[in-house]
Amino acid sequence: MNPLESLTDAVVRGDRREAVRLTSEQIDGGSPPKEILAALVAGMDTVGDRFQRNEAFVPEMLIAARAMTESMAVLEPLLAAQGIRPEHTAVIGTVQGDLHDIGKNLVAMMWRGAHFNVVDLGTNVAAEDFVNAAKDHGADIIGLSALLTTTMPAMRQTVQSIREAGLHAKVIVGGAPITAEFADSIGADAFAPDAATGVDIARKLVSA
Amino acid sequence: MTGKERVDRMFRREEQDSVPRCDTWWDETVLRWRTEGFAGDLPLFVGNDFHPLSWSDPRPFVGRQETVAEDGATRTYLDEWGNTVRYWKCRSGTPEHVAFGCRTREDWETTYKPKLLESWPFVKPAASFEDFAVGRRNGRWTYLCGLETFEMTRRQVGDETFLMALIEDPEWAVDMSQTMSDLVLRDFELLLETGMEPDGVWIYGDMAYRGGPMCSPSMYRELVWPDHHRMAQWAHDHGLPFIFHTDGNVNSLVPDYIAAGFDCLQPLEAKAGMDVRLLAPAVGDRLALFGNIDVMTMATNDRDLIEEEVVSKLRAGMKGAGYVYHSDHSVPPSVTWDTYKFILDLVDCHGNYGT
Repeated sequence: MNPLESLTDAVVRGDRREAVRLTSEQIDGGSPPKEILAALVAGMDTVGDRFQRNEAFVPEMLIAARAMTESMAVLEPLLAAQGIRPEHTAVIGTVQGDLHDIGKNLVAMMWRGAHFNVVDLGTNVAAEDFVNAAKDHGADIIGLSALLTTTMPAMRQTVQSIREAGLHAKVIVGGAPITAEFADSIGADAFAPDAATGVDIARKLVSA
Repeated sequence: MTGKERVDRMFRREEQDSVPRCDTWWDETVLRWRTEGFAGDLPLFVGNDFHPLSWSDPRPFVGRQETVAEDGATRTYLDEWGNTVRYWKCRSGTPEHVAFGCRTREDWETTYKPKLLESWPFVKPAASFEDFAVGRRNGRWTYLCGLETFEMTRRQVGDETFLMALIEDPEWAVDMSQTMSDLVLRDFELLLETGMEPDGVWIYGDMAYRGGPMCSPSMYRELVWPDHHRMAQWAHDHGLPFIFHTDGNVNSLVPDYIAAGFDCLQPLEAKAGMDVRLLAPAVGDRLALFGNIDVMTMATNDRDLIEEEVVSKLRAGMKGAGYVYHSDHSVPPSVTWDTYKFILDLVDCHGNYGT
């Protein structure tokens, strides 16, 4: 296993100390930051694939995302210095009336793991706040989460506001009561049944 | 037949006059129905057969509720678990955890675990005993009620900390699980000392989401299952059947639940892939099935779809005489009162064993 593969492996295992150590080692050894970043993203992709195959579960995803985040904290200044920034921006939040956040947090972690610039608006986010944040940050993707059946109408309202504002961002919806049919019915661009699939969908939408 | 007789017979897989019933609704749903002509006591109208006696919910700072912030719609306060939480003022729903007080094993060992042990008991035996008398008088199936590992740790340290501890510090995860499960069982022992004779135990804990369990089945088996088994065993040692509540897709855990001694699974969330039509033929003789009527189908208010949903699931569940009517979660406010009455009419009509 070469050092970059070892870094990928450390992220997959969620070994944050090893991931940070290997990231620093690669930086000190003069590896191109883009290659280090690719090794980290590959780790999160592997965890996402395993999650979709039921070979990894939420705990494994959480520790991998943390290893990625801590390694990125070391790598980020170097990326910034070389003008390497995330190509795409995603705004994410839980719709108005809903205070749940674990599903939304997992998607945000996975998007960051795929090197999206993620603007997390938190919970109970009003439709106009999604619209304003998407405008301010030039979002390519807007992620809407709802856990309660009672807040599904707020998701519909938010999609409508995004459409009325004429934003180019693609809207991905998810959460316990949400289905592909519901996503279609409210005019969303896609439905993400889980956080790992959310990454695949976001990548597909921004490259379309 | 009283509710108690009906549910007891259901657990023995003996036919009942009709399927036992129970249901839950969001507050907004009941408010809507009141504007659509419903008046009175909803559980009574539904024909609820169940009667809770207690709520064992271990928390280190019993009674604490210190407001730290407030706006027009929400209130943020320091709660009984030492967490900062935000609640809606005029709306139902679960809270947002702004910050957890117990974040590390050291926090747990030095502050939270000792406070939990000091704060026991978490039930009020005298009030529960009176409640037991009420339940008996009304002929309902009475049960001791409490929380399990996933739900208790969710409140104490949050999902993220607990789930990561399962991998990185399993000894801590097990200590939290054992400590809190012990406290619930000590509460139950205390309640039995009053002389009450409950009919069963009902334990709550959401341990899955729509895609599957929160952790792998093997991790569950190794670290949490022993406490679930211990709780079910306690119930059986006292001659009581054991009902387990969890949302989400737990199809892969059903064999472990049966091995743990669970007698009944509720509410069988349909949108997560739980289906009484598949579960009943496979495990209905060992595991009673409680719920599974899809609230999303209810919310269509489409009578044909609803009839198919209710009748097909009643038929499947009733085949082995081990089924209880309940929605697969809480009935949402998008369901009209007319629709809900239609559902209850279907249960009246098709939930009858004809004995």
